[in-house]
Amino acid sequence: MIRLEKVTVAYGDQIVLDGIDLEIPTGKTMVILGESGSGKTTILKCVLGTLHPVSGRVLANNQDIGKLDDEGLLRFRQRMGMVFQEGALFDSLTVGENVAFWLWEHTTLPDDKVEERVRTLLRFVGLEPSIDQKPSDLSGGMRRRVAIARAMAAEDPAFMLYDEPTTGLDPFTSKSICDLMRRVQREFRSTNIVVTHDLTDAYRVGDLFTFIKDAKVIATGTRQEIEHSADPFIQTFLSLDS
Amino acid sequence: MPFRNILLFMTGFLLTIQDFTTMVGMSFRYLFVHFRLRESLLEMDRLGVGSIPIVFLANLFAGLDMALQFSVVMAPYGASNLLGRVVATSIVRDMGPVLASLVMSARVTAGITSELGMMATTQQIEALLVMGVDPVDRLIAPKILAGMVMLPVLSVVGDLLGILAGLMVAELGAHVPAPLYWSGVRSALTLPNLLNGVLKPFVFGFILVAVGCFYGLRTTGGAQGVGRATTKAVVYAAIWILVANFLISKFLIDVWGWKL
Repeated sequence: MIRLEKVTVAYGDQIVLDGIDLEIPTGKTMVILGESGSGKTTILKCVLGTLHPVSGRVLANNQDIGKLDDEGLLRFRQRMGMVFQEGALFDSLTVGENVAFWLWEHTTLPDDKVEERVRTLLRFVGLEPSIDQKPSDLSGGMRRRVAIARAMAAEDPAFMLYDEPTTGLDPFTSKSICDLMRRVQREFRSTNIVVTHDLTDAYRVGDLFTFIKDAKVIATGTRQEIEHSADPFIQTFLSLDS
Repeated sequence: MPFRNILLFMTGFLLTIQDFTTMVGMSFRYLFVHFRLRESLLEMDRLGVGSIPIVFLANLFAGLDMALQFSVVMAPYGASNLLGRVVATSIVRDMGPVLASLVMSARVTAGITSELGMMATTQQIEALLVMGVDPVDRLIAPKILAGMVMLPVLSVVGDLLGILAGLMVAELGAHVPAPLYWSGVRSALTLPNLLNGVLKPFVFGFILVAVGCFYGLRTTGGAQGVGRATTKAVVYAAIWILVANFLISKFLIDVWGWKL
């Protein structure tokens, strides 16, 4: 479970998150929706511990992330998979090396076992033949798939975070990425947060939905609850997307 | 208002110093507690071996030019017999290390800053953190070690090349016999001079890599930001190398006296 309690984040004088409360139950996918610049990605940064709130706290499985020291934070992140907007693959490494990276850093597995695991993960995302290619040789959709495989490299990723995983992709590729995200959730029973502004993709992957506007949470709930919200911003958002 | 600006500038300066020393401190800590042999050797190959042609070329022409200039100045005083000693002293104590460092800073500092800058702007540094890997451990510490090991090696070999280039000018241009030139060179290779020739590139190697890493990690603002950070890093590295050169010279002269 991930819980944000009265979290406020500010960059200088500008408040990006204003005392927000959010709870993502274990094994569920929470989709965070809102306009660009509304603070969606900031929530992910708080959960990752790369950004510290001015006030409030972030709990992951009842552990206060803000109270972890550097070592504790590094250990905590080892149980977390993050898929960045453009994939953030290491461009000096091949696809296989990108996926193997976590295993090299945190395990003492022999090379043949690492390769076996890398091939399994790449097969899972349908990219085993690209194992020796460089990220620059891949399309946007393929890079996101590799990023998902890399995020799953930890034996048991308890939390998966996705930052706009389908932005800039065509509808077919977007759907295949969403299907893949669903498969990952089923396989690992992980707790997921997905940040997006695409409602179609949100419905494909989400169990719960949160709308952020002007640094505040304006609604949280299931698809039905969101669709029946009386908030004019949400209704406009839903109608524009449809 | 001016007081407020001065205060803001001083605060920013002190915070920069704090961030820099933290990065350097963490790097040295990782070198002792979590040494990465493979990455360090790879960096030594990239930073050092890749710089051989430019460092050697720079030293070769510096040696040629220095011998030429000194021979012109010394000949009227009948002091051409000291040419080997003067050329070797200048190259080993000062010109060799400084020239190698400045040439390397153009290549290595710029390369490191742009590489790390691109990684920072494309979230690759953040990805490392998220994967439980400290970028200072994985990226910075091996580079700093490589700079501190490879620059002295390159500088010493570059010094030798500069001295040999001086011999060519001495023999062919100034008509100083080779044995006389070599005896001058030998008399210049004293302990204080050799210590100068090794200590300086050791410190300069640290400066040019650490400055490059520092500005690379702090890069923001896309491709334009990478360009800005790279320019800044190369300029600061060059300035700090020249400042450090003077300070080390002063320190060693205070320790050893005015011996050559």
